[in-house]
Amino acid sequence: MASNAAVPFWRAAGMTYITYSNICANLVRNCLKEPYKTEALTREKVHFSIATWKEGKPEKPGNCPLSRTSDRVDFTVS
Amino acid sequence: MVIIPATTGQMGVLPGHVASIAELKPGVLSVHEGNDVTKYFISSGFAFIHGNSYADIIAVEAVPLDRIDAGLVQKGLAEFTQKLSSASTDLEKAEAQIGVDAHSALNSALTG
Repeated sequence: MASNAAVPFWRAAGMTYITYSNICANLVRNCLKEPYKTEALTREKVHFSIATWKEGKPEKPGNCPLSRTSDRVDFTVS
Repeated sequence: MVIIPATTGQMGVLPGHVASIAELKPGVLSVHEGNDVTKYFISSGFAFIHGNSYADIIAVEAVPLDRIDAGLVQKGLAEFTQKLSSASTDLEKAEAQIGVDAHSALNSALTG
């Protein structure tokens, strides 16, 4: 089965657009002059809490990601 | 007029441009108002050109060019070029390629 259109190289490698876009943004942030760089690095921080649910009830929420099947987990900054 | 760094190449947008959506790659966005030009480096994103001569640029990072440190760009370019040659998995290669593309774009933004 032939592919319909040329996919970008990052999608062909299994990466999503969000991952690609966040990588690009981090690269640009790391190339900034001070004080813009420190300001930008605060934008990079992501805060999240994860709760696993068992039998319809959340267990105690924690800040550390629990067992993951994939190495990369995407979170959008809120 | 605005020149946007679309994935298909530099794209000029004038008032009255047909409505379209363009995916952006890391590159320079230049806004031309009369004789004034303001340039920003966009990390990636989208440009929505509406039918009423309005355009929205959505980017995660957009910085004026004078905030970019040339030394860090060179260092990053060298580092990712090296990573690209030593990458083994598809994902590593993709990440290194993104690094090379982004730093090359930063470099041309500073020198161009």
